[in-house]
Amino acid sequence: MPIVRVALPVPLPQVFDYTAEDASEEDVGRCVRVPFGRGEKSGVIVALPSLTDVDPARLKPVRHIQREVAALPADWLALVAFAAQYYHAPLGEVVALALPPGLRRADAVASDERDPWLEVTDAGRAALAATRRASAALALVATLGSEPPMRRSAVRALPGGAAVGDALRRGWLVGRAAGPNAAAVAAAPRLTTEQQAAVEAIAGAGERFAAWLLHGVTGSGKTEVYLRLAERALVAGRQVLMLVPEIALTPQLEARVAGRFPGANVVSLHSGLAEAARSRGFVQALEGRADIVLGTRLAVFAPLPRLALILVDEEHDASYKQQEGVRYSARDLAVWRAHQRGVPVVLGSATPSLESWMHARSGRYRLLALRTRAVSETLPTVRSIDTRRMPLDEGISGPLREAIAARLARSEQSLVFLNRRGYAPILSCPSCGWVSDCPHCSAKRVVHLADRRLRCHHCGCDAAIPTACPVCGNQDIRPLGRGTQRVEARLAELFPEARVLRLDRDAARTRAQWESLLARVAGGEADILVGTQMMAKGHDFPRLTLVGVIGADASLHAADFRAPERLFQQLMQVGGRAGRAHLPGEVLIQTEYPDHPLYRHLARHDYDAFAARELDERRAAGFPPHTFQAMLRADAPTLDEALAFLETARALALESGRSPLRVFDPVPMRLTRLARRERAQLLVEADERALLQGFLGTWMQALRAQRAGRELRWQIDVDPLDV
Amino acid sequence: MPESALNQLRIDAEIAELRPLRRTPAGVPVSTCTLAHASNQDEAGRARDVSVELEAVALGDLAAVLAGAAPGMKMRATGFLAAKSLRGRTPVLHLSKIEFLEGNENGFQAQVEVQEKG
Repeated sequence: MPIVRVALPVPLPQVFDYTAEDASEEDVGRCVRVPFGRGEKSGVIVALPSLTDVDPARLKPVRHIQREVAALPADWLALVAFAAQYYHAPLGEVVALALPPGLRRADAVASDERDPWLEVTDAGRAALAATRRASAALALVATLGSEPPMRRSAVRALPGGAAVGDALRRGWLVGRAAGPNAAAVAAAPRLTTEQQAAVEAIAGAGERFAAWLLHGVTGSGKTEVYLRLAERALVAGRQVLMLVPEIALTPQLEARVAGRFPGANVVSLHSGLAEAARSRGFVQALEGRADIVLGTRLAVFAPLPRLALILVDEEHDASYKQQEGVRYSARDLAVWRAHQRGVPVVLGSATPSLESWMHARSGRYRLLALRTRAVSETLPTVRSIDTRRMPLDEGISGPLREAIAARLARSEQSLVFLNRRGYAPILSCPSCGWVSDCPHCSAKRVVHLADRRLRCHHCGCDAAIPTACPVCGNQDIRPLGRGTQRVEARLAELFPEARVLRLDRDAARTRAQWESLLARVAGGEADILVGTQMMAKGHDFPRLTLVGVIGADASLHAADFRAPERLFQQLMQVGGRAGRAHLPGEVLIQTEYPDHPLYRHLARHDYDAFAARELDERRAAGFPPHTFQAMLRADAPTLDEALAFLETARALALESGRSPLRVFDPVPMRLTRLARRERAQLLVEADERALLQGFLGTWMQALRAQRAGRELRWQIDVDPLDV
Repeated sequence: MPESALNQLRIDAEIAELRPLRRTPAGVPVSTCTLAHASNQDEAGRARDVSVELEAVALGDLAAVLAGAAPGMKMRATGFLAAKSLRGRTPVLHLSKIEFLEGNENGFQAQVEVQEKG
């Protein structure tokens, strides 16, 4: 009886053997349901071994092999195996993360196309020819009669498109499996010389692995370069994988891709999709029916048999790194995958991560620069406002206020950027000193005045604002500090004639809300925007000419060595929203440190100098990308328990006796308490990646053999972003 | 300190400055003003002139009453004293009762008495 080896989502670094009567080599890569303990689990068949370590008589038979869906290809199995090995995670857990949940459960996948191409049937043409009573459906068929096939969603958007359901029921329209021509291209703007050079360099390098770093200033048209490269792949009948940081924040990009390639099957993959839609998109990619897979970090695991190109937009973005479970970096896996498949990968950013920048400097990646903006003539002017001796009105300085007033007078838009949502970060009692500590975390609960709630932004704990101080009874408790809601309220008072619109996670809880807010901005229905980092990414509003940054200094002195890099990236990104079209843009940064090098580099748009300085500082301090790190984190109900585990782990690490390795002391994490658990961390560092990887392999084995307390949890984070 | 310790101040004063009504985060109205008092008092057997200014605050229904007044109006204020904040120990009069004594210079003579509810 054949034996199948199955990767199951259990926190153990092992695979499990079962029997399956009719299994063949064809079934490697198929999803399977198997009995496990007293229940059932689902996973993927990774091998058909001829021998097993287990007594064959004790092997249980599998319950069901999902054969309706094509098996996952060998290169996909190699990808998840690499991720498991590099991030020191159990293979079954990587598989579970990489597969849409419905597919992994080996459920049937509904194959009906959600948004098919529609064309007019013979019955429809006959109905048109016949003399019939006019109806909305008939009018729609008449409109479509002269057009090439259109997507159902596009048909619905036509005037009278609501009758599409009726027309389908009457048999006048029918769905067809594929678009008319995947490589059909809608009108595209002319490329600038630099864009043209970038496209030609990448396309001209041929179809083999190369990692390109596309360093383009904000508004330089990186997306256009991606689209031209994608077009070439589609013309060659191949697939493109395009990764974006947060798809919910970039509906404009999605619309642009779909609009440019009206005939291509563009599949979105992100965790915001319903399960069935995610399964369907994944299967379309797997079966080669998807032409472009556009998705967030999890899309890096989409199987793509005809893959020709990988694009990673905003490659510096921290959201490419998963922060829980298997802590993989989709950007890094994308590069590995491109190498594995022998295709080019393009990492694009206005502010590349220092990791990628160093690779480009050393020649491992090839650097392409877009130094001029595509549409607008110039980059925005960036100026610091010295707030040391300046009265601030709810955080807003006089010069910023005047700049906003000037924009209002010219009916242009302003954005006030403050990366802190809520009304105020703390509620406090001036009488007795009580503050709104979160009962579960070492953090303060934030005042949300709009709905009169106190919320912890870390654990989500949420309660009504108390009517009086819980300690002394004083009713006149005060919000301290400021968030977007408070600035929004003050701007509305300062500029009563202006329409003030807040854009943050609270104003846009769903994607639909976010899109409608963006549409209002684009439609000119707002004069002053107050936004968090959600506003920093990729948006293009032609009338937005002023960006005012408040409260940026806090990040200058953060303990994390990556804080300056993140601040620079964030300010460059948000500043890049200003003056993208034909109106000149201006960025005003309120700071008490106007001479700080970071702000000076920013004012000169000099990423190169900033990066050079940061890399020097990191070299001197022995930080990545000059060194390689792994972080062991432990959490438990008490801090002592977490620290004790890490002490044991440290002793085990020192025993292994690899001298070039630096093992630091266990320390409590900055946000020590989170959701009632106390957290601590232990940093391990090496000068070479291979050395660290070799050590981690043996260390993980030793750690897994430890008997840790029942309440203790631990995880390893390779290449951690937060240290 | 015993919970029932005496803390009461009654003072006749004029509203010197009235700040706009605001609300606590829970939505309770708060009104603050500066009260100016001037009188002649006996001290160690001799009469003398006295003047003093005092911050006062009213919450809830009484805040609306205070906010409805105007600078220059005279009142008999009753309340207790509390420090302005943990760091600034200046006393602030927290009003529990406002009796308007007279109106403005035009001879408005109404006497309004408002007792804080419950």
